[in-house]
Amino acid sequence: MSDPAPPVLRVRDLAVFAGEKPLLRRASFEVGEREVFGIIGPSGAGKTTLLRALNRLVELIPGLRVAGEVELRGQPIAGLEVNALRARVGMIFQQPVIFPTSIAENVLFAARRLRPLSRSERMALTEHALREAALWAEVRDRLHAPALSLSAGQQQRLCIARALAVDPEVLLMDEPTSALDPKSTHAIEELILRLKATHTIVLVTHNAAQARRVTDWLACVCIRDGVGEIVESACCATMLDSPQCREVVEYLEHTR
Amino acid sequence: MRKVTDFALAGFAAICAAFALAVLGGLVVVVAGRGASALDVSFLTGEMQRAGAAGGIFWHLVGTAILLVSAFLICTPFALGLALVERVWWPGERGRRFLRTALYTLNGLPSILFGIFGFIVLVQWCGWGKSWLIGGIVLAMCMLPTVTLALVERLRAIPARYLEAAAALGLDRAQIILAVLLPQAWGGLISGSLLGLARAAGETAPIMFTCTIFAGATWPQGIKDNPVLTLPYHIFILAQDSFDPAVGARLWGAAFVLLALVFLLSLLALPWRLRHHEEADV
Repeated sequence: MSDPAPPVLRVRDLAVFAGEKPLLRRASFEVGEREVFGIIGPSGAGKTTLLRALNRLVELIPGLRVAGEVELRGQPIAGLEVNALRARVGMIFQQPVIFPTSIAENVLFAARRLRPLSRSERMALTEHALREAALWAEVRDRLHAPALSLSAGQQQRLCIARALAVDPEVLLMDEPTSALDPKSTHAIEELILRLKATHTIVLVTHNAAQARRVTDWLACVCIRDGVGEIVESACCATMLDSPQCREVVEYLEHTR
Repeated sequence: MRKVTDFALAGFAAICAAFALAVLGGLVVVVAGRGASALDVSFLTGEMQRAGAAGGIFWHLVGTAILLVSAFLICTPFALGLALVERVWWPGERGRRFLRTALYTLNGLPSILFGIFGFIVLVQWCGWGKSWLIGGIVLAMCMLPTVTLALVERLRAIPARYLEAAAALGLDRAQIILAVLLPQAWGGLISGSLLGLARAAGETAPIMFTCTIFAGATWPQGIKDNPVLTLPYHIFILAQDSFDPAVGARLWGAAFVLLALVFLLSLLALPWRLRHHEEADV
């Protein structure tokens, strides 16, 4: 019998320290191919820090130190070239980060700098990425308009298009809908479900209903003894319907 | 009691502001009032005659422009490099603060020191004689702190989320500098340069022994021993040495043109400065 496919991401005993003070500890989980892995938990528990450790974005913050192991398709990410890793593991932030340039320029912002693209390839990639991010129909007539003229929901989808243009294997999403209205939130959730067919997604969310709608597997990060920890990890429905851990029960009651 | 203090403070501030504005306004009124009568097309396009008692200031304008353009071209790359070192490569906030303090100190250095430096090192040791290029270099040194600090402030105002988003897309440091920092730095570079040039345009001390003479220069033909005529030095010599009453109106005319040039450069910098403040408020 052949071995089952290795997980896309394997996190083992991950810990993050600010100086000597631990912020997060003993985080271990696996994310399978084309799975939406949700991370829930109260504010300040370390969800974002955990997410940022997965593409080594924590290294940008002076004083933060990471211990433990994260593997991307079996390779320890600590041994990968950091920029190549970040191109493979894209990130969508809580607030859409739009560069003060045109819509098309934003889509190609990283892609055209990471590999040479002909004019026709640029056009094709812009369209492809915007279609994948479900934004093409809304902006096809104004690709050269300032991206800042878009609504917040459109801006967030533009950020997703920009990340997709680099062709990542994994998308990390840090509460991508928390700054959006319900309609835009719905559009992003639809998009996550569609992107799942081609990408592996790790989603930090504050919203249990959203977690139920889009995630396959959930981990709940809570604070124990002053340090963030994954207190429970289970299949989405199991965690939400019959949580085992006291902290998770309290958190879910609080969010209802 | 609180009301009295408030009233006294407001009154004091108002008096100070009125005094400062009156001095500035008085200066402009006097210079414009006395200089405007000398101003006509032939004054701006004619050569100086009879040691400044007749003719115009054409070659002084050309010389001043040559110095300003060369100072701008020499200063800009160094200011950009220094500002990037401060923002990107300089280790630790303490080191950065030290560098910024050094720049502020350099900004306050009397400009005659730059002139002496240019005279000893470039005019004498290097044997260039009086040369427009030395003037450009010395004025670039005077401008460097102003331009660099404007750029540093501009780069500091770039939101960290831009840098983070660019890094998260897999761009390396050089790509982030080219894609994020530099496009946003242009405003700072232009406003800083214009302000620096406005200061440099009126400087007399750094150029008087390094690059300018009173009469007899036109277009420079080379670098060594090729001085230029300049407005500040022209005003300085006429004000100090001339007893010819016919010089008076032309002296004020030259001062008015210099004042207008400095105002123009500061005014041109205004839109970029305003934009900078608007973005910093976001």
